[in-house]
Amino acid sequence: MQRGTQVYAGAALFALLVTASLVRAETKKEFRFTVGPRPSLSVINQYGPISAKPSAGNEIIVVAVLKSDKVEVDQSKNGNRIDLVSHLLPGASIDNARVEYQITAPPGTNLTLHTTTGDIQVEKMHGDLAIEGASANVDVRDVANCHVHVNTLNGPIMLTNVTDGHVELTSVSGNITLRKVDGPLVRVNSSSGSIRYDGDFAFGGEYSLTSHTGDIEATAPSYASIDVTARSVKGQVDNEFPLQPKTHSAFSMDTVRNLVGTAGKAASSVKLLSFSGKIHLKKR
Amino acid sequence: MTCAEFQRVLPDGIDEGWSAQQKSHLGSCSACSSLVEDLNAISREARLLRACAEPSPRVWDSIADSIQEIESELDLVAAEARALQASEEPSPRVWNAIASAIQEMDSELELIASEARALQASDDPSVRVWNSLEIALRKEGLIRQPRSEHSVIPFMKRWRWAWMVPVTAAVLIAVGFLNRTQPSVRIADVTPPKPPAAVQPLSSPEDQQVLEAVSRRAPALRATYEDNLRSVNAYIQDAEESVKSNPNDEQAEQYLMDAYEQRAMVYEMALDRALP
Repeated sequence: MQRGTQVYAGAALFALLVTASLVRAETKKEFRFTVGPRPSLSVINQYGPISAKPSAGNEIIVVAVLKSDKVEVDQSKNGNRIDLVSHLLPGASIDNARVEYQITAPPGTNLTLHTTTGDIQVEKMHGDLAIEGASANVDVRDVANCHVHVNTLNGPIMLTNVTDGHVELTSVSGNITLRKVDGPLVRVNSSSGSIRYDGDFAFGGEYSLTSHTGDIEATAPSYASIDVTARSVKGQVDNEFPLQPKTHSAFSMDTVRNLVGTAGKAASSVKLLSFSGKIHLKKR
Repeated sequence: MTCAEFQRVLPDGIDEGWSAQQKSHLGSCSACSSLVEDLNAISREARLLRACAEPSPRVWDSIADSIQEIESELDLVAAEARALQASEEPSPRVWNAIASAIQEMDSELELIASEARALQASDDPSVRVWNSLEIALRKEGLIRQPRSEHSVIPFMKRWRWAWMVPVTAAVLIAVGFLNRTQPSVRIADVTPPKPPAAVQPLSSPEDQQVLEAVSRRAPALRATYEDNLRSVNAYIQDAEESVKSNPNDEQAEQYLMDAYEQRAMVYEMALDRALP
């Protein structure tokens, strides 16, 4: 009886040690880089999220949590440019090669962030952003005076409070949402995902929202100063915004599928184009 | 004689001279006399101007020479053209040279095609090749074992608290069990996109190559790429038809460019270094 108990205890201990060794495989690494003004940081991840926040000082700190020893992080620094790459080792898979990156960097840092799956979150940065994620949820908020370029396949993209941005968003089937986004250029291109814009169309900019089958909904305040062209080749265009009609237009005036008009001083150009999606221009 | 009557005969008077009655009016009317003076002055200036503007005979001769030169060149060109038109086919030597060049190109194309077929048919390199590559890379220091000193929890410190291992393990087993019930990686955790109007096969060889590359590198993502390529192809097809039916439509061209941009993006994402 006592021998049996010892066997059970040994087996339990063995199981616990195995588990402990698995736990040990998840590691946390911290990378610190002292940088000059306007540094560039590139993080290429395969699986897992990336988040970036501003920090005071002139140091970039990246904390990487590695799921297992089947993945490692390669780093390089050349002058003001830093590259971090998740390097998959033999036996790596989508389950064990996950790396979570947490970045704190000076606000003016230019960021290039790639991940195949996992969320990408960036907030309160002022450097240029180039973000790519096949199925990544991309969330960018409170950024200003920068380029924001985002590409996804089916990952949704959300931009909130982007001021004076040069914004280019492309997604095949992910839904794209823009709240309080303005700048000299705001260009959104989607295939089947929907596009929603809620903002002022300010800055005397060029706003172009284009989709193939996805619906486009644009909401602007009554004081918006816009020159609107809305057209859906096979869909419908609904307008609730008070627009002054334009006498001259490049295409036929089928009012069900086309809409042209201006409001205020028509400072910003707004093009809402869809092939078969529904277009809805609303007043806030 | 009144001023009106005088001005009616003014052109004739300037050319042919004045009658006694007209001279008498000129003598008594300052307006008509100053008009006649102005007209005479203009006439004199015009004669001087004409004399200045007229090119010298040397210029005319030079122009005539140039025209003659151009005419003779044109005659030469015409004669050459007539000779070329009248001539028969190129000599057999020329034909032979062309034929040999074509043959050479043909054999090069055949070689390229066979290489391509061999490349297409070939599988990944053998395990031995991968192993030798790995050994070489390890020697170079490009592949490293994970270093324990990077770990935040040092090895010795962990064993000083060895009594915590069973407790932690039990907790982690429970957490692991709970985690297992949820997907560890969120793929396409989004509102499902609208399906394309018609599900079409991906017949383009480029699409197939891209999907094969994705299958090799990240099999779990193949379905995602396949769906999205289908969606993009439908976009391109509609945009192309729109451009065909409205060739001068700027917006239709914009659709097409956007559609192509989407496909380029998908290809780039499939083939760039973001994938494992």
